[in-house]
Amino acid sequence: MKKLNIILSVLILLTVIAAVTSELEMKYAVFALIGFAIIKFIGVTFFFMDLRKAHTFWKVAILIFLLIFTTSILLIG
Amino acid sequence: MNKNIYYPPGGILLWIIIFLELITFGMALVAMVYYDTLEPEVFHTSRLQLNSTIGTVNTIFLIVSGYFMAVSVRYFKNNKVKKSSLFLKLTMLGGLLFLILKSFEYSHKIELGLTIGYNTFYTFYWLLTLFHVIHVIVGLVILVSVHIGINKKKTSTNIEDVEASAAFWHMCDLIWLLLFPIIYLLF
Repeated sequence: MKKLNIILSVLILLTVIAAVTSELEMKYAVFALIGFAIIKFIGVTFFFMDLRKAHTFWKVAILIFLLIFTTSILLIG
Repeated sequence: MNKNIYYPPGGILLWIIIFLELITFGMALVAMVYYDTLEPEVFHTSRLQLNSTIGTVNTIFLIVSGYFMAVSVRYFKNNKVKKSSLFLKLTMLGGLLFLILKSFEYSHKIELGLTIGYNTFYTFYWLLTLFHVIHVIVGLVILVSVHIGINKKKTSTNIEDVEASAAFWHMCDLIWLLLFPIIYLLF
């Protein structure tokens, strides 16, 4: 349960940082915003959904999805 | 926890749905980013019309709700049904708060005339966020049914049912984690 509390704090913190980052209109904000989203996504899947205890196939599948999604957004954007 | 490839937490069928949903929303978001390159001014001014504070608070509602769901599943696994039920109620409260705030945001946009046909940005905004809201409503219905199930004296609701409902609820969370930065913060 302690691990879940830590993950929750990190997720909330990253959400607030992302909101602040977007207001600053930094040059590389897009990388930061997508990066924070990916970290939060991994936090939810691996810890809240307990994917870390699942078969490697599912962990790799979710990471491949994230890789394709992130690459597409960054290349097109 | 079963490490069998056919039994991810929540069940293989639900994970197939999760991947299909993620791919669908993912492709729509990639399309949205592509259209931004065609109409950058429209997307930037439209994005600035959105209230990022509401988006941030809604993200926190869903994250905290997902946390309560994870705690509820852990209590259920340890046969602490009352505590599991309490955290399930808190999970639903998070979902309800999300919907209330989203309704407030939608009504404000409609009042300003920023409807689905206003411009390309708002077409994506309405389609993606409304599709997500439908998922949240379906998720809430599933959670209510699981809540009723686990509180029955002679219940057939087992850990697989609770885990499956949790996986669906977390999916709503995951979709929002991709929608929020792109729609509310990126352009």
